[in-house]
Amino acid sequence: MKLEEIKKLIKLVEKSKISKLEIEENDRKISITKSEVGTAIAPPMPFAVPPPPVAPAALAAEDAKPATAPAEGTAKKYHEIKSPMVGTFYQAPAEDAEPFVKIGDNVEKGQTLCIIEAMKLMNEIESDVRGEVIEILPENGAPIEYGEVLVKIDPA
Amino acid sequence: MFKKVLIANRGEIAMRIIRACKELGIRSVVAHSEPDVDSLPVRFADQAVCIGPREAAKSYLNIPAIISAAEVTDCDAIHPGYGFLSENAGFADICESCKITFIGPSVNNIQLMGNKVKARETAVQAGVPVVPGSDGAITDDTDAVNTAREIGFPVMLKAAAGGGGKGMRVVHDEDELLDSLNLVRAEAMAAFGSGVVYLEKFIAEPRHIEVQVMGDKHGNVVHMFERDCSIQRRHQKIIEEAPSAGLGEDIRREMGEMAIKLVKHIGYYTAGTIEFLLDGDKNFYFMEMNTRLQVEHPVTEMVIGLDIVKEQIKTAAGRELGISQEDIKLDGHSIECRVNAEDPENFLPSSGKVEEIYFPGGPGVRVDTALFAGYVVTPFYDSLIAKVIVKSRTRQEAIARMRRALGEFHITGIKTTIPILYRILHSEQFVAGNLTTRFLEEFME
Repeated sequence: MKLEEIKKLIKLVEKSKISKLEIEENDRKISITKSEVGTAIAPPMPFAVPPPPVAPAALAAEDAKPATAPAEGTAKKYHEIKSPMVGTFYQAPAEDAEPFVKIGDNVEKGQTLCIIEAMKLMNEIESDVRGEVIEILPENGAPIEYGEVLVKIDPA
Repeated sequence: MFKKVLIANRGEIAMRIIRACKELGIRSVVAHSEPDVDSLPVRFADQAVCIGPREAAKSYLNIPAIISAAEVTDCDAIHPGYGFLSENAGFADICESCKITFIGPSVNNIQLMGNKVKARETAVQAGVPVVPGSDGAITDDTDAVNTAREIGFPVMLKAAAGGGGKGMRVVHDEDELLDSLNLVRAEAMAAFGSGVVYLEKFIAEPRHIEVQVMGDKHGNVVHMFERDCSIQRRHQKIIEEAPSAGLGEDIRREMGEMAIKLVKHIGYYTAGTIEFLLDGDKNFYFMEMNTRLQVEHPVTEMVIGLDIVKEQIKTAAGRELGISQEDIKLDGHSIECRVNAEDPENFLPSSGKVEEIYFPGGPGVRVDTALFAGYVVTPFYDSLIAKVIVKSRTRQEAIARMRRALGEFHITGIKTTIPILYRILHSEQFVAGNLTTRFLEEFME
């Protein structure tokens, strides 16, 4: 069995409802098993130890670091600009306009980084430090909750 | 029916609403403060949005944050629970302007019944008996004296914008009257932003009986019989029962009819509660109306077999009631004990981490709570942490069942009022029934 055929088989199993496939050909045997993902009929487990407050993606990783360390596993702690309100994140002042900032930009204290729109009002979110934009977390148009990290800045 | 409901509340009532939503096939979103991020409602809801820091003013009372949370999650309705914004007409109005259904009565009815003077006048107009009192607000000192003389001392001075036992003072004679008047005016101004005061005859040892009502947006109204909430500490209820022991079928029926009269008169829809005072001669008087879901709704649910929160949501969504008054029958007896995170010696709030917890169970026992092992009880919010509700065929059996349930309730790490509740359930007076609101005061001595 060639690698290409095995890859096709894997894709087939993935897309189908088959959970396990075993094929024997001559003296070769291949077994493909689909891992069980969370299902609609499993009851919620609210009494499990509360997960540390990191982004869900980080929880899935086997070597997820504890809550206080940044998800990237780097030692450096960047300055976080958090949302002071609930609303929708916009990276630019208007739909077709250039974004306020891009990764790598140097920003000044007081410079507008993004907009959080709440109840039809556009609220400009300003940086409270001088430094370099390292990361812009939300997608444009994403819903934002209070305290959510919007931008990470490497202070000058 | 609503697709998604935002729950603007926390703790046990948020859990209650999530449960009703789940059964109705409605997706739930919980708006929560930062300290509540690990709470049970946040884990059980389909979605959660952090709306602010721990201070209620910046989170659970933060109208723009709550409306914004409903908008970004595409909710078509908001359930305010009890307390917080549940009786805030301004909030209900904003929901309406933002095309989000407020799960509760109309803005007008919240305003009308929220003003205690207007509520009294409305009751009078509807032909519902009210506590003898001033005809509207007290205008000046002379008015106060004359009215008090007419009604007869002792009288109770009450803030028009108050309620829930706050902004009230008993006056025993004319000498006390004017000083008390100034005091109540000042207190009312400070607490409720309005110094408007009215006067009522003070009923010394009343029984506090309230009637649950439910209306739909098509003019149909039913009552779901009464609850007895006479066991109170500083006007805060701690034990409630349904039905009211020894009330008598005639009075029960009359009270129900009066409640319906009032509710129909104002075109009320969704859930509400009419509070009456019953004096020693079995006269009952309208006291106030709560235009929201109440903490003690479970005891009614247990004896009539209906889900009040589901009915509230359904009627808010425009569905017809689908139940007639004849369908609603009382079956058995239910008691609820409110468990507070307070020191049973002095009722001071107790905070800390819940280490071990075992909830009571078995036949006829229900626990409404958001507690779990590891939960940290904080002093930022109300101290109610659990409601233990029992139902049985008779009051005697319900008492035995509640004693058993309280005995099973195991919790370490924080102090609770379970020991006091246990003692009350064992007191002769409680067992005899016919309790007045003075009971707890005397019992504690």
